[in-house]
Amino acid sequence: MNAAAPALAMDKDLPTELRELLNSPNGAEFEQALDAIVRQREQHMFRALGQLARDLHDAVRRLGTDLAQDGFPGNVADARQYLQDALEMSANAAHRTIDFAERMRPQAEALTINAAEMLKWSQDNEPSAVLARESVMFAEGCREGLAELVVAQSWQDLTGQRIKKVDNFIGSVESTLLELVRLTGALAGSDLPASAAKVSSQEEADRLLSEFGF
Amino acid sequence: MWREALDKNMKILVVDDFSTMRRIVRNLLVELGFSNPLIQEAATTARTQSMLRSQPFDLVVTDWNMPNMTGIDLLKAIRAEASLKGLPVLMVTAENNRDQIIAAAQAGVNGYIVKPFTAVTLKEKLTKIFERIAAGGVAA
Repeated sequence: MNAAAPALAMDKDLPTELRELLNSPNGAEFEQALDAIVRQREQHMFRALGQLARDLHDAVRRLGTDLAQDGFPGNVADARQYLQDALEMSANAAHRTIDFAERMRPQAEALTINAAEMLKWSQDNEPSAVLARESVMFAEGCREGLAELVVAQSWQDLTGQRIKKVDNFIGSVESTLLELVRLTGALAGSDLPASAAKVSSQEEADRLLSEFGF
Repeated sequence: MWREALDKNMKILVVDDFSTMRRIVRNLLVELGFSNPLIQEAATTARTQSMLRSQPFDLVVTDWNMPNMTGIDLLKAIRAEASLKGLPVLMVTAENNRDQIIAAAQAGVNGYIVKPFTAVTLKEKLTKIFERIAAGGVAA
């Protein structure tokens, strides 16, 4: 031990403080000095980490601000509301179309029956017979067309499923962003607002974002 | 011919979270000659389960994609319930997905139909379901 210490102490590459420390006969002093060096290194690391967290927080905040300012609609809540509106409007439009088809179909069926009845009492080449035959064809065409019109409203279900998927996706992006804001805010040294612990409503989400400067 | 094979007075429950789709299915069933007042609708699987327990139905036409509980889970729940396990279930889905079809078949679905579909396709599937049941078979 005694032989090894002077050999190390002779190393010109070691910092002076470390060389002196190794040569020191005082054990307590040695530990104190070692602690100081370790603390200094830790502080460097924490400062670097803090800077990194602040940069990250700024970047996330800029992203949030960009989303609020540059895009249309103005914010995530608006965007989701627009999707809900589109869903509702398309459903109303589809229902109105089906209303129309349901109203017209019995009329077409009645025309088929009445025209067929009329044919029984008309001579083949009479104008009324010609009109009755045309009416039957027209009514049949209407009935088929109205049935197709109803089936065609499936577009509302098919597009609606996609709108719902996009809405859910935006919701998950929003909650991920919120979590990122919360984490980077805490890392950057901001006091963690109490509301950050659990975000469950849109109001809470908006409040949390504003507390972090969004 | 097919109308004789199908009982027009059967009680049918149409399950879909989209009101438009429920209405379209109802229209198609009426077009095929089923009685409009005997067709009922449910918007959720929870409502479906309570309706199935409180009154007898002869057929369930259910969507696959629904929030909370999907059509396949509903199907499994029906098959797991002693009083309902033989109830014919026709699955309606927007996706023609091989894995979904296999999962539905394994869970004991009676028929599988891809949206959008016509009255002709619906008629074919229903006829096949009830022909199979009449012949003593169950699942597709």
